[in-house]
Amino acid sequence: MQIFKKIKLFFFRELKLFYSKITDLFSNILFFFLSIFVFVFALGAEKALMQTIGVGIIWALLLLSSTLSIRRIYEDDFKNGSLIIMHMGGLSYELIAFLKIISHFIFVQIPFLISIPIAGLFFNININEIIVLIITFAIGSLILSCLGSISASMNLLNKTNFSIGSLIILLFSIPVIIFSVGIINSNNDFTSLLNLLFGIALIFVGISPWSSASCIKLAIKNK
Amino acid sequence: MLKFLINPSKFIKFSDLVFKPLVIFTLLVFIIGLFYVYKSPLDYQQGLTVKIMYVHVPSAYLAILIYAIMTIYSIIGLAFKMPFSFIINKAIAPIGAVFTLSCLISGSMWGKPMWGTWWVWDARLTSVAILFVVYLIIIFLYQTFENREVREKTVAIFILIGSINLPIIKFSVDWWNTLHQPASISKLSSPSIDISMLKPLLIMILAFSLIAVIIAILRIKAEILIRKSHL
Repeated sequence: MQIFKKIKLFFFRELKLFYSKITDLFSNILFFFLSIFVFVFALGAEKALMQTIGVGIIWALLLLSSTLSIRRIYEDDFKNGSLIIMHMGGLSYELIAFLKIISHFIFVQIPFLISIPIAGLFFNININEIIVLIITFAIGSLILSCLGSISASMNLLNKTNFSIGSLIILLFSIPVIIFSVGIINSNNDFTSLLNLLFGIALIFVGISPWSSASCIKLAIKNK
Repeated sequence: MLKFLINPSKFIKFSDLVFKPLVIFTLLVFIIGLFYVYKSPLDYQQGLTVKIMYVHVPSAYLAILIYAIMTIYSIIGLAFKMPFSFIINKAIAPIGAVFTLSCLISGSMWGKPMWGTWWVWDARLTSVAILFVVYLIIIFLYQTFENREVREKTVAIFILIGSINLPIIKFSVDWWNTLHQPASISKLSSPSIDISMLKPLLIMILAFSLIAVIIAILRIKAEILIRKSHL
């Protein structure tokens, strides 16, 4: 079982890289809380208003602050040549992209889940809604990781316009936001909407390794 | 016979042949259409503002039609590896963006006196606004990548993914309760619009499409000449 050993080593390497750059994650979480404060200062701290718009604001800010960390998914490994060495070691680019998505999901998006209950306290959201918010964000962040993998691999190809990747992420995250906020606001059909969200996540998990792998191949060919 | 749709040199020959008669015909149709719009009756509720319809509906129709054409050409270009389809995609994307913008602007100018607001977040309006953003991202993507082949393929894939928006635009007035009215011309039963208003509307739709064709011919020819001089 050579391949499982390789995957294990890949995850250990990702973990080490993650711990060496852990301040990056903390500053992303700090960005999230600071933008919540900015929203509260801009809208005024009325309790009823905060309760009605709190969930939407938390989702939008989670989306924006998780796009901050996305540009770095492939860039360092591409520049120092690790991607080619991993490919020579027997991992296909599709598998590398899939593992990158999973490791980004585990190491970057899951720690964000800890900050959701604290953010919910600021907006006086009750505990049931916070639990639903955590479940939807756990699925929605997988979609965000997939989109981030696509846009990060597209950023390897261009050297002029870096914000176009964030534009594409924001465009495709519109259905994610519609379904996730719809789950929280509708009380009766919880499971059906959750299944729909999960279906979107599975579609993106299926598509994104192949598209990012083709972008990486083109980038390596044109290096 | 329809070879000019996929072959650049045939396209240039065909467009040289057809261009001057087309311009004269378009001018004629446009003047006749404007005359009919001038003679068309006022609405008993909306008054004079109903004439915004003769700009709004053709541009909305063309905005969707141009995106559908781009979708078909990106399928052809990706599946059969025809570079001419990418030329067409690059040439007609700004035309679609301009028609979408004119649809949005004329719609909000119509909405202010009738609905009392410039903009509502209703399903039809929002999905057309997303279509406009998609057009803009396509135009930006054409400026982004350095390698031409990569650029064309990426844009074609993006166009294919963005075409999910088209059925949402078409059926948004049926699926959700919207402030925007449901379709009155393109439905299976007889159109729910009077013949005295339908006639100028159809002539204006034809005139707008012919104008779009003329601009598209000019842009596609310019793009072909640029590529010939580069290669």
